[in-house]
Amino acid sequence: MKTLTKYLILLIFLALIAGNIFVFVYSLNLSDDINHFEKGIEKLHQENLNLENKIYEVDSLQYAASIAAQLDFIKKAEPSYLENLKYAKNQ
Amino acid sequence: MTKPRILLLSFLILYLLIIAKLFHLQILNSASTDTTYLKTNRIPPERGKIYDRNSQPLAVNKPSFLLYAEPKKIPSVDEFVSKIDSVLQLGVASLSAKIDKTKDWVAIKGGLDKEQKQKLLDLGLKAIGFEDGYQRYYPESSLSAHLLGFVGKDFQGEDVGYFGVEGYYNRDLAGLPGIIKSDRDILGRPILIGTQQKLDPENGRDLYLTIDKSVQEMAKRKLQAGIESYQAKEGCVLITNPETLEILALTCLPDFDVDRYYLFSEEFFKNPAISNLYEPGSTFKPFIMASALEEKRVHPDDFYDETGPVRIGEYTIKTWNNKYEGKISMTRILEKSSNVGIVHVANRLGGKNIYSYLRKFGFADLSGIDLQGEAPGYLRDESAWYPIDYATVSFGQGIALTPIKMMRAFASLINGGKLLKPYVVQRINSLAGSKTIQPKIERRTISAKTSEIIKKMLLSAVENGEVRWAKPKGYEIAGKTGTAQIPIQGHYDPTKTVASFIGFAPVSRPKFLALVILREPQSSPWGSETAGPLFFDIAKELLVYYNIAPE
Repeated sequence: MKTLTKYLILLIFLALIAGNIFVFVYSLNLSDDINHFEKGIEKLHQENLNLENKIYEVDSLQYAASIAAQLDFIKKAEPSYLENLKYAKNQ
Repeated sequence: MTKPRILLLSFLILYLLIIAKLFHLQILNSASTDTTYLKTNRIPPERGKIYDRNSQPLAVNKPSFLLYAEPKKIPSVDEFVSKIDSVLQLGVASLSAKIDKTKDWVAIKGGLDKEQKQKLLDLGLKAIGFEDGYQRYYPESSLSAHLLGFVGKDFQGEDVGYFGVEGYYNRDLAGLPGIIKSDRDILGRPILIGTQQKLDPENGRDLYLTIDKSVQEMAKRKLQAGIESYQAKEGCVLITNPETLEILALTCLPDFDVDRYYLFSEEFFKNPAISNLYEPGSTFKPFIMASALEEKRVHPDDFYDETGPVRIGEYTIKTWNNKYEGKISMTRILEKSSNVGIVHVANRLGGKNIYSYLRKFGFADLSGIDLQGEAPGYLRDESAWYPIDYATVSFGQGIALTPIKMMRAFASLINGGKLLKPYVVQRINSLAGSKTIQPKIERRTISAKTSEIIKKMLLSAVENGEVRWAKPKGYEIAGKTGTAQIPIQGHYDPTKTVASFIGFAPVSRPKFLALVILREPQSSPWGSETAGPLFFDIAKELLVYYNIAPE
């Protein structure tokens, strides 16, 4: 009986050590995951902001003006028949 | 030695080792232990965004990074500095001055973008790190520089809004920072059984302005062209809805680059539309006329005999061209902008009433616009007014006011007499909900009947004025020109003028009221030949934009 108790205590002791090691390793992995996701969220947020700003940029009047200038769609290229309908009717 | 004794001794040695290590960590090297394990980081809030009335962005945020160094970990300062300088080009001397070997942490440069950060990371330096943050980004560049203001730093290095909307609504826009307290291991991973506290930041509130980006762009473009064409020193265009006094566009030139505001001196930051005083000249005449009509001191069908100059004490008042038409109606006084005619109306109104109406129209107090930097109202005490002052004020000389006050008072002339508070923010959005700002009537200045009469008189001032403008056919546009000489060292310089035009359309139910001011135009000193044409140029665009049908 005494020997059995001794083995049982040893077994519980080993089980506790194993459990402790498992919890420790598991918490390390969880920490790694938290760290990984924290960085991922931050990166996504930054990318999201960058993309949002790119959309704003191409949607801006400044960008439209620069593209219009590049394509020569400026006042001198404006068709005169928009002001005087007789030109449009002659076409 | 028995087994238990060996075990006891082993435990004793282990305990002693642990105590020695704890003594080293907690007593000998206490500073490093705090920072190594328990990390307290400030989480910066994202500054509120600013949109126009159609939810188009005017000021948003972009990620930015603060580069810092840990000088104690730098093996060779010279090599470190030259590598950093190859990317940032800050200058070796200024970089070296920042690396203080006695400090654990020094900030090197903020506002870095993603590419710069990557280049610095590629250098493979061990003693550097980055803190995440935000920086303002303006998709429309400096379209609304004076209106928005800019975000700079306070003496603690925190972001603070200065001037315009950024300054006025700084507390709403700034938000509240969050805090993260976390035990971390040597590799920076959270220790789950240690302290883990996180207080999320509260991001700033988003503002939705009354400004229409398209109208703002058009006004700025036209103003730029007007300043160049009339060779003016500076100019302003303000456009508002007179029924609500929500500002649709507000632009003054020259302005500044919002992205590189630090290259400009403070005088460029001040918004002349709310901070600079000017003498309104003849655009002030409708106020005297409306007050006299309201008090029934004159009637719309009254006549005045314009025979020649008027003498008040030692001063002589003439018409702008020194020509006199004989019997003229009250409407004709405004049409031909007769100084002697309006002095007659002012005499009929009386000094006490003039002063009382100046206060009623709000020239003595702030307009209350929600922009930082409004110049306080100033009206001399009534006891300091001489008869000549009452005469000159009737044609807008000897009184100084800001363009925004002019808009506010003029709107009350044409909206039935409601003196409203001008505003540029119509909605504030936060996580808690949305707050809409409603137009606010402060008091009544004149009756609806007088308002209708003055509108008709101003329509006639455009239709039958001294100058014929390129007015769009079929539309009824009303307004008044103004040319005021600029006071310099106690005298008026006739060569330097402030030319202005204030007008609105359609007359029956005004959709917009616009004020155009040009300071010291060189091509002509007259408002009718400079600010007037510019106003009609802008009005034509607004009629099309707002889809206003001819009357």
